[in-house]
Amino acid sequence: MMRRILSLTSGRIALGVLAVIALLALLGPLLAPQDPLATSGHTLANPSSAHWLGTDNLGRDVLSRLLDGSRVSVAGSLEVALTALVVGAIPGILSVYLGRAFEWVTLRLADTLVALPFLLFAVAVIALLGNGLTQAMLVTGALVSPLFYRVSRAATLAVARSQYVEAALISGASIGWVVRRHVWAKVLPSIAVALAQTIGVGFIIVSSLTFLGIGIQPPKPTWGGLLASDLGYLSYQPWAPLVPALLIMVTVWAANLLADTLRDVSGEAGRALINNRKAHADRRSKSDLVTTGGAR
Amino acid sequence: MTTTTVQASHVHRHGVARPGVRHALGRVLAVLVRSIAIFVPVFLVATFVTFALRSLSGLSPARIQLGEDATREAIHRVEAQWGLDKPFFAQYWDWFSGVLHGQLGASWTNGADISTLIGLGLGVSLSVATFALLIGVVVGFVLGTLAALRRTTWLDRAITGFVTVISVMPAFVVGIVLIEIFAVGLHLFPSAGYVPAQQGTGPWLAHITLPALALSFDVVADVARQLRTSLVAAYRENYVTGAVVRGLSPRRIFFVHVLRNGLGPALATLGLKFPALVGASVVTEWIFGLQGFGRFANDSAQAGDVPAVQGVLVVSILLVVTFNLIVNLVLARVTPASQRGV
Repeated sequence: MMRRILSLTSGRIALGVLAVIALLALLGPLLAPQDPLATSGHTLANPSSAHWLGTDNLGRDVLSRLLDGSRVSVAGSLEVALTALVVGAIPGILSVYLGRAFEWVTLRLADTLVALPFLLFAVAVIALLGNGLTQAMLVTGALVSPLFYRVSRAATLAVARSQYVEAALISGASIGWVVRRHVWAKVLPSIAVALAQTIGVGFIIVSSLTFLGIGIQPPKPTWGGLLASDLGYLSYQPWAPLVPALLIMVTVWAANLLADTLRDVSGEAGRALINNRKAHADRRSKSDLVTTGGAR
Repeated sequence: MTTTTVQASHVHRHGVARPGVRHALGRVLAVLVRSIAIFVPVFLVATFVTFALRSLSGLSPARIQLGEDATREAIHRVEAQWGLDKPFFAQYWDWFSGVLHGQLGASWTNGADISTLIGLGLGVSLSVATFALLIGVVVGFVLGTLAALRRTTWLDRAITGFVTVISVMPAFVVGIVLIEIFAVGLHLFPSAGYVPAQQGTGPWLAHITLPALALSFDVVADVARQLRTSLVAAYRENYVTGAVVRGLSPRRIFFVHVLRNGLGPALATLGLKFPALVGASVVTEWIFGLQGFGRFANDSAQAGDVPAVQGVLVVSILLVVTFNLIVNLVLARVTPASQRGV
């Protein structure tokens, strides 16, 4: 799967960007050149050699704050995606096998969760259940889980009605074995697509929450929080929101791109696409050898 | 079960061929009944979860009204006054019967009627959301159709690229950029505040344009992408080839054969988009200083005002359900085929 993703340019770009963001999250706080909380007299300074991205309204180094804040956003979005995966995918697969009652209840639950505006709920839950991003991300994960439920259920239904699964059941295979051997392999690509999408969605949610200043203690830097503090000083530093906004957008874009690439390369159509490209490349290199510097 | 649906689809096909009032009415009724059958359990579960939030939160009006160091008797007195000493299900029943009568209770912070407070904010939010939807549908429709009609040309690629860029811009980033350009830079629009429509359409539009634009980007991207995909797919269908062979004009093929079949998925995305729109209003109303529904939600959540938060959630669920009902009705009208499955 990994090899297939890397064989497409879009896949390489998406994985590259996400890897850089992940590194930022892991090492960012260590890389920060200055203390992200230290204030100074140089308020709202322009970029200089001492402050690469300038300083904010309290004279704090913006670059250090960006690097230090990356961990919160990345961890939050991963938390949303993984919660949604666990809460959604497992009932989705089981709903095909555990009988009509379970199917009906989980379907109605999925309908309900879809109808809840998740940002509003996340705000409510954080405020009411204690000031922490972790709880809010768990709840948000549960609210976006219907995506995983539907995707895994659809894939499972398609497999469960296929002839080779019927054959396996007739020859005495247990449901558990069928799920592990056949269903899992078919469900995995669609789940991977949903996971990549959800990481992007989670990123927007975390940024929105930190932008509102919810779920985080004030002096601690976050990407959303940086944008919110820039908003008050737009007439002095109109360029200030550029870097945090770009970081958020590039990350979400890379997650979406990865989802699209995964969709392109998975399944039979994906195999055909890859083989086609390989054949093209082979033919081109061969013709290059023969003609040596032809028209193309 | 299967046989009845097959029969139903036959009936529908006749209905399309000879549009009869009775069929149309029956279809609308069927959609209504099915939607209500789905949404009643949704509403019950959602309100129960919402109500359970208070017990889970452990917050109480006594903390807000009396402060941290109140005596135990005083706390008891205040809680009894709010009916919080009753068993959980008795409280739920009181609250739920109130909700059914449109009474969302009183705010813990100032005792004001929550239904009234939300009603005040809803006017602002609905103006913005409706305008945003309008922009989203019109622009998304134009972009998606253009891209599909000129597929694999530079125009298609330019539109697809543009849509990809705006789809990753969160509402608050768009909001900041819009304020920078149109309010701080060009002084074309006010950067914050709201004027009701009664005080003049011009100022009203000026105040809601920027927030609506900020909210609409997401809708534009989704509608355009979905419409392009489904229109391109519809153009590959055999009935389109058949229409071309029969010598129908491109315009007729587009409006009668392609658009009608391609519109369904785009409309369905719109229904799924609405909860996100309601959620994003929390952020845009904060940026643009609008005293709307989302701002009320944020403020009362931060203040720990549980009944107000519950009221907000109930109203938001109602909004989503109503909007989905409308979308389903339109869907049933535009593409009868969409009613066969589900």
